[in-house]
Amino acid sequence: MTHIDASGLKTAGISIRKVNLSYGSLQVLKYVDLEIQPGEFFAFLGPSGCGKTTLLRVIAGFNTPQSGSVTVGGREVLSLPPWKRDVGMVFQSYALWPHMSVRKNVAFGLEERRLPKDEIGRRVDKALELVGLGHLGSRRPSELSGGQQQRVALARTIAIEPTVLLLDEPLSNLDASLRVQVRRDLLAMQRRLGLTTIFVTHDQEEANTICDRIAVMKDGVIQQVGTPMALYDNPVNLFVASFLGTANILDGAMRTNGREQVFELPCGSRFPVPDEHRTGAKLFFRPQNARLALAGDQAETASVRVKGKVSHKEFLGASVRYGIRTEGGEVFADIPHARGEAHLPDEHIVGVDVPLSRVNYLPA
Amino acid sequence: MKRRDFLIGSCLAPVVLSASVNAQQKRTLSIVTSLPKELSSAYKAAFEKLNPDINVEVQQRGTQAAVTYLRETRAKSATDIFWASAPDAFEVLKGEGLLAKFVPADTGVPAKIGDYPINDPEGYYAGFALSGAAIMWNSRYVRANNLPAVKGWNDLALPVMFDHVAMAMPSRSGSTHLTVETILQARGWKDGWALLKSVCGNMRLITERSFGVPDGVTSGQFGFGVVLDYQALAARGAGFPVEFVHPSDTTIVPSNIGVVRDGPNSAAAQKFIEFMLSPDGQAILFEPTVGRLPVRPDSYKKAPAGTPNPFAIEWGGGGGFKFDVDRSEKRYAIVDVVFDQLISFQLQPLKNVTKTLHAVDANLAKRPNAEAATLAAQAREAIALMPFDDKEAQSAEFAEAFHGSNEKKKGPRQAELEQKWASFARDNYAKAQQLADKAAQLAG
Amino acid sequence: MSSITKTDLADRPGFAVRLGGVAFGQYAAAGLIALFLLAFLVVPVLTVIVAAFQDKHSGAFTLINVYDFLRNELFLRSFWNSLYVSLMSVLWATVLALPLAYITTRFAFRGAVMIQTLGIIPLIMPPFAGAIAMQLLFGRNGTVNLLLGDWFGINLPLMEGLNGVIFVQAVHYFPFILINLSTSLRNIDRAMEEAAQNLGAHGFRLFRKVVFPLAMPGYIAGASLVFVKVFDDLATPLLLNVQDMLAPQAFLRITSIGIADPIGYVIAVVLIVFSVFALWLASFATRGKDYATIQRGGGGLSKRQMTRLDAVFAYGVIGFILAIVLAPHLGLLLLSFATIWSYAPLPDGFTFAHYRTIFGESSQLITNTLIYATLAGIIGVCLGTAISYLVARTKVIGARWLDFIAMSALAVPGVVLGMGYLRTYYAIELPWGGSLAAFWGMIAIALGVRRLPYALRACSAALQQVSVSLEEAAENVGATKARTIRRVVVPLMTGGIVAGFVTSFATAAVELSATMMLVQSTADAPLAYGLYVFMQSPAGRGAGAALGVLAVVIVGICTYLSHVYLERRSAPSRREEGA
Repeated sequence: MTHIDASGLKTAGISIRKVNLSYGSLQVLKYVDLEIQPGEFFAFLGPSGCGKTTLLRVIAGFNTPQSGSVTVGGREVLSLPPWKRDVGMVFQSYALWPHMSVRKNVAFGLEERRLPKDEIGRRVDKALELVGLGHLGSRRPSELSGGQQQRVALARTIAIEPTVLLLDEPLSNLDASLRVQVRRDLLAMQRRLGLTTIFVTHDQEEANTICDRIAVMKDGVIQQVGTPMALYDNPVNLFVASFLGTANILDGAMRTNGREQVFELPCGSRFPVPDEHRTGAKLFFRPQNARLALAGDQAETASVRVKGKVSHKEFLGASVRYGIRTEGGEVFADIPHARGEAHLPDEHIVGVDVPLSRVNYLPA
Repeated sequence: MKRRDFLIGSCLAPVVLSASVNAQQKRTLSIVTSLPKELSSAYKAAFEKLNPDINVEVQQRGTQAAVTYLRETRAKSATDIFWASAPDAFEVLKGEGLLAKFVPADTGVPAKIGDYPINDPEGYYAGFALSGAAIMWNSRYVRANNLPAVKGWNDLALPVMFDHVAMAMPSRSGSTHLTVETILQARGWKDGWALLKSVCGNMRLITERSFGVPDGVTSGQFGFGVVLDYQALAARGAGFPVEFVHPSDTTIVPSNIGVVRDGPNSAAAQKFIEFMLSPDGQAILFEPTVGRLPVRPDSYKKAPAGTPNPFAIEWGGGGGFKFDVDRSEKRYAIVDVVFDQLISFQLQPLKNVTKTLHAVDANLAKRPNAEAATLAAQAREAIALMPFDDKEAQSAEFAEAFHGSNEKKKGPRQAELEQKWASFARDNYAKAQQLADKAAQLAG
Repeated sequence: MSSITKTDLADRPGFAVRLGGVAFGQYAAAGLIALFLLAFLVVPVLTVIVAAFQDKHSGAFTLINVYDFLRNELFLRSFWNSLYVSLMSVLWATVLALPLAYITTRFAFRGAVMIQTLGIIPLIMPPFAGAIAMQLLFGRNGTVNLLLGDWFGINLPLMEGLNGVIFVQAVHYFPFILINLSTSLRNIDRAMEEAAQNLGAHGFRLFRKVVFPLAMPGYIAGASLVFVKVFDDLATPLLLNVQDMLAPQAFLRITSIGIADPIGYVIAVVLIVFSVFALWLASFATRGKDYATIQRGGGGLSKRQMTRLDAVFAYGVIGFILAIVLAPHLGLLLLSFATIWSYAPLPDGFTFAHYRTIFGESSQLITNTLIYATLAGIIGVCLGTAISYLVARTKVIGARWLDFIAMSALAVPGVVLGMGYLRTYYAIELPWGGSLAAFWGMIAIALGVRRLPYALRACSAALQQVSVSLEEAAENVGATKARTIRRVVVPLMTGGIVAGFVTSFATAAVELSATMMLVQSTADAPLAYGLYVFMQSPAGRGAGAALGVLAVVIVGICTYLSHVYLERRSAPSRREEGA
């Protein structure tokens, strides 16, 4: 890919305020509020039906909310039809027009803008070069592979130099092996163009790997907005916690023990809780933050310990994931694997230790 | 076998088969006709009342379709009676051996009306009603367009009639063919065609459906139509604002009925025709929506007011000619094809030049100009020119070109003749148009 | 799937047998269809048009008749006239159909089903009645011109000459484009359109550059039908007294009495050959273009809300078009209640008498019509689905020829087909007596064959839009070919199949020319025949019109029900939009 000068592209922030959208009695978006910075690579993440695609389509102008406002680069766009928004969108199905060649597809938006012919030619070349398909311009979309089609769709959108790029599950129709490559390419290109980009996906790995910030959505409500690491380490609720990766959740009770706030597990163990977590109702930690203590090992200070029996194990290569049956339910612990190390047998009694600094408390 | 029988029969076949034998006892008389429903159903009702054991089954088909049908089903005819207006259709069927000879019991019907035999002299079909060629008009139309009253064919050629007249193609309508043939016999080959061409120059259209003419007059699409008198009578009977007149040089012809050869129920067929020719049967023709003229002279004693009595009119003789049936037969196809090639399919150029000539005449009447008048006369001559004469029209060579005889052919093919005549007409109309245009310049 | 090797296949018992079975099944189906077409189309027609190549005196084979045809100015003029009229009719039919199809499929629109139904009514033009009604309204002395004459002293030659034919044909046949185009539009993945909007296209440019090209298979299917139908239609030009067109010339010559004229059959051959050529051209134009846009097993354009201004404009356009295309039926309705209607903008008076006249006879006629038309529709869609599947999805040798042969039925004048049936089957006796040609089932078959092209084109267009991958998916999860066709392909083609059935059914219900030859008794007669019988006399005109109205109403109701059914079937997929 050749280098493209980013200075030619304008980029804009998006702000979404109190957007409500419903189909009949079904409310698909509920008071959605969101600020997306210029140049940011942003993800809408959530299970299917959470409203992420609908929100994307609201920005593009294909769905009209009942109330709220959406501005792109400071310009209110809700009153504008899709073709006046300067918001580029890549569709999940790519939506390449089968009756046009690749070049024609890419040139379409430029022709709509009534640009001079030679400029159209130049920009189509540039866009195709950018996605590495300069040599396939005369093909029909049906003659391309899935990955190539996806890149044509991207080139078609980028060619119009939109202020914002919207990607609707762009990787979902690709082979697993291709996905990793494409998402790197996407990121590289986004960085080079400096284009504000929104990426809709249900795959947290995709979102984590390439996005600056993520908005996690469920049932039409934004659950949490933040960097991938912040969301992973400090989810605000159970949904975010489990959606972003394997989460161990332990029930218990928050008690006040004199001046101290403590969390009491059903087995009776108690741990001090920092002030900021005093409203939490459940204890949460990630499997890789746990260690297994065999009988006789001293419980480390400043750590949570729960006892249980090994119920199953999965060898993941770099680590072994143990499932531990405890009184409060099953808990996972990822233990690094060293060469030659034997695994614990099933029904082996172990203790799960988690340093207090690595646990978190979530509302019910 | 009827549909419902079949549907039941698919489950109860043996039972129904034995039952349908009983149902067969009522015998069916099967009639194929091109005549309107009012006429056929009146006879059906009356005949079934007299003969409760006979069930009359009427199949309405256009004349051409009926002939084709009889031809294609000849292997085992399911039809007893063929019943239609056009004598030519009967001639064709007779020629192909599809009709049976039958002799109606003495009915008191005279042998001829004018020069035209009422019954087929060879006894293959009989006339049951008379009709004469007529000019029919829509009185509202005539009033709205300030058109004059019409008495004969010449009136239809008047300039004021331009684009107000219609007729059927003689090749499609046996009755129109007879009208054309009569004009040709009354005026002679040359003058007859000249008249026909000047009348047709005024045609709004020349239709292939013979019913299209009375239909257009009744609905007011055009003012005048060349029809048969019963069409006007029936329309008037149905309440439409139409009138008609019998031009003087026309002939009256019978509408016919014939027994189909080897039909399933010939006895009933004979009975039906005898009923039709009886005084009671003939009286049915006077019903307002039927409006036909009986072939029995005695029937006219009970005729409704306003019905002409053809036996009291001197047909043919009025124009001073004898209708020559033999001549008519010999050139039957030729007249049809010539009319189509020279007039029907060249109608637009013919109309164009006619319109120009009408304009020239109007100007000449205001400001006479001898040179223009000569040119106009030359144009008319060019229009009137015919590619061949009467004698050639009746020649064996021509007849052979149009009929599929088994003899070895030597002469020109039909297609060659048609093309020749068509270009003849086209060239002469073009020449006439040039002359007329020049005349228009001089006279204008 | 490429990883499955030959040995894998061989290991699976019965796999090879199944493959063989599939091919055998396909060839068996193709064979049966070929047999049917041979028996009820090819052989009967050949027995008639063979005269084109016979010396009329000796009966020996000759090409002299073709030579004569080519040398004849009238026929060449007729050919060009037919070509001109057909092309112009397609153009005007498109102008009428496009807005209706687009507005009703693209917008959330009250009464869309009703409009789609009303849009099909013009196909149900009862013979004679339609033309008479058109003359009474638009003729030189029809309502419109009488009023224009009174008010402004002008007269519009709407029904004159070739332009009159074009006008009537466009009004009569535009539903072919409407139906096929609407089905195509419904099947377009809405992302296709949204992508274009996203890139800045909207309005007419969006339609022209993206939506319309994607709907092309449907449009071509409809337009080619209109073209060929107009090219081959003889009734309308003859009713409007235009004789110098090809089909009327053939008819005039084939049905003339007493003249043995082979040229009429030559023209029939020319009509058939040219029609097949035109259809081949159409199929050539759409071949190789991957327009299969149903990839998710549903989709369709999103229905948009209209602004108030849009709505006023849209209803205005629709109202205007419907007023034009339904005028013949309005005229027919007036005529059926008229006492006398002659040279006047409106009838002199109104009466129910005509309906009383037909009351007694109509029930048998209606029953017959519904039976024939339903059977014709079923024959049409069964053969249509099978042939289009064989052509599009199998490698059966000669499948495309089945398509062409079936389509050539379009060019066979009804009277030729009727004559052919009599000639081929009259001598065959039925076990319960009577001739096979006289059996009422033959009327249904004749109608089915005559209308097969309509159903076939609709089915082909529908199948063209169903992605092969959906079928492969079904086979992949273990469905056999037959079950895949039944459970996946046919349901996805429903739109096209219903469209095909509706057109065949509706047009078969008013067909006359072939029926005329085959009806043997009034008990077997359909409505169109009854109507013809009435229309032969001035007194029967009102009653004929009443019968025509009855035919239109009944067929219209059936069409409406089919549409409701179709909307219901496609509705669920549209409700998923929110996700």
